[in-house]
Amino acid sequence: MMVPLYVLILVPILAGLALMALPLRWGKALALASQIPLAVMAGQAFLTVRRFGPRLQVIGGWPQTAGITLRAELLSLDLVLLSILLFACLLLYNNGKPYVNKTFLFLFLSFQGLVNGIFLSVDLFNIFVLVEVSTVVISLLILFKPNSESIYDGMIYLLTNIVAMTFFLFGLGLLYKTTGAVDLDSLKRVISGFEDSDRLILPYAFLMTAVSLKAALMPLFSWLPKAHGTPGAPTIVSAVLSGLYVKCGVYLFFRLQDVFEPVLNTRSLFLVLGLLTAVIGFILAIAQKDIKLILAYHTVSQIGLIMTGLNMDHDYARYGALYHIINHAIFKATLFLTAGLISERYKTRQIGQIRGVWREMPAVALASLLAILGITGAPLFNGSMSKAWIMYGAGPTGLSIALYIINLGTVVSFVKYASMLWGKPPEPSEAPFWGKPGHRLPALVCVFLGLLCLLGGILSEPMTRLLFGVALPVDWSQYGRKTLIFLLLLGAGASLYHFGLKRWRYLQQARGLDLSFHDICLTLAAFFAGLVIILKIWY
Amino acid sequence: MNINVLLDWISGEHISLVLFFVGLYGLVARRNMLKSILSIGIMQAAAILYFLSADLAENSVPPVGESVAGQAMADPLPQAMMITDIVIGIGVTAIALTLMIHLYHRYGTANWQKARDKRRE
Repeated sequence: MMVPLYVLILVPILAGLALMALPLRWGKALALASQIPLAVMAGQAFLTVRRFGPRLQVIGGWPQTAGITLRAELLSLDLVLLSILLFACLLLYNNGKPYVNKTFLFLFLSFQGLVNGIFLSVDLFNIFVLVEVSTVVISLLILFKPNSESIYDGMIYLLTNIVAMTFFLFGLGLLYKTTGAVDLDSLKRVISGFEDSDRLILPYAFLMTAVSLKAALMPLFSWLPKAHGTPGAPTIVSAVLSGLYVKCGVYLFFRLQDVFEPVLNTRSLFLVLGLLTAVIGFILAIAQKDIKLILAYHTVSQIGLIMTGLNMDHDYARYGALYHIINHAIFKATLFLTAGLISERYKTRQIGQIRGVWREMPAVALASLLAILGITGAPLFNGSMSKAWIMYGAGPTGLSIALYIINLGTVVSFVKYASMLWGKPPEPSEAPFWGKPGHRLPALVCVFLGLLCLLGGILSEPMTRLLFGVALPVDWSQYGRKTLIFLLLLGAGASLYHFGLKRWRYLQQARGLDLSFHDICLTLAAFFAGLVIILKIWY
Repeated sequence: MNINVLLDWISGEHISLVLFFVGLYGLVARRNMLKSILSIGIMQAAAILYFLSADLAENSVPPVGESVAGQAMADPLPQAMMITDIVIGIGVTAIALTLMIHLYHRYGTANWQKARDKRRE
């Protein structure tokens, strides 16, 4: 017997509502405590699914095509468990922050419920509703510490995402007319027997335009750095947006591709888009000077890598990409959290002005370093495993060269990012290992998440078997070679950055690249038109 | 051109497609934030019209109450979905307008271009 799945959606929202009635101190405790029953229930559901296979639950006794359907399967529950882990860590991290009030906690917990709902829903209309509501909640969270920059950024975020979701809704209407279904299972059944691919092109293009914007694919990513890196956004909001929420887009893409693949196979198209996204992402990341923006653009690059892996014609690559979703959530959250602590300590976010984090905040620097090693794919760390599987899927083709270039880009951008760890701090002070009293708990959370990066690498084989139910090979005998390649990449990246890119004029100009709202809408329209034209030519 | 052909062409589905792209044009071409929000409203209305008019059987009755023999009921599913969407649309528009007013107070303008220049300062 499995727990009813809607509980996983409702518990955080109800906890958020309940804490409104309590004093703030109790409210914080309740928010944290609500993660425990959630974890227990999600764990129970996970174990049931592992033993007995995927479970479907229809709420309200309607038939599956009309009711609200939730499905528990390994991938969705992995992501739900990941969200619980992240939200618990973030709430702990944020415990002492002055801006936390009951409204913030309510919004934050509602957001968790919505995200869980997106992962568990089978019905595209429910997904639309959940995504739309979470968009509103996020724009309020981004603006929680309003300053003049974040209002503009929040406005751009809200409107572009609403426009994208209107595309989604219209596509859903077309799809309902063509197939008479809105839930993924029925759609898959109907579409796999569909002869006339022509009639699916328009709904597919509408849906994919929306999903590509949500997943921040090239050229639709320009809202992402604004939303994730805006100065006013609380650190934990940036962390959860970059770590988890962007993956909702990728997850939707994965689900929709699964449905449409028998008729419209667009893998090669999205493979190319993924590669382009990854390359553009790291180029823009290297160009930035603001530490939060470096991380935000870097998310774009990693999303590109995940999309590349998902669209490869190889199981290892696909599971590698799914594992990378989880890994990226952990190291990107760590990086955003440490960046928040660092910018708080130095009172600036300009990377040129931050020096000597090792001396000032040893624990935070340690966590940063662990996460950086994870994201650059250092041997033994989680990033190396997922990247190796994606690489394995590429095989000895030109694709693997492209992947090496992407990894080199990652290394270069993090050589730049890590430069703040060393050197002499501007105002040296002898700090204890865990930092000042107010920073102790946040630093502890960061180090914990950083250690998870290492753990996810060493235990990658049992982890993937547990999470996805597949056995992916890890060839430990190749490890010497891998270490060598990593060191070579590191050397190449460091010299490339210090002797070339640092003063490259065109890179400085790339920083000014900032699309206005109209440009974003125009690219959205162009993306849609391009997708329709390409599909028309292909089919 | 025969006027009847044109009249046949005018159906909820076609109009909604046209409306959708009218809204999209408004988003790309208008510089005022209020007009952007209105354009989004048009696009949402287009989506609602599409859902309600696609697959609608002639002379069908609303899916409310007891069914009358011999009369076809309209498909209730799109209608249920669109009620939900109308509610969401109201919420989203309200939030967008609130943000716009907030931004207007901060920057003194509701023009995208000018707001962007102000943000850079």
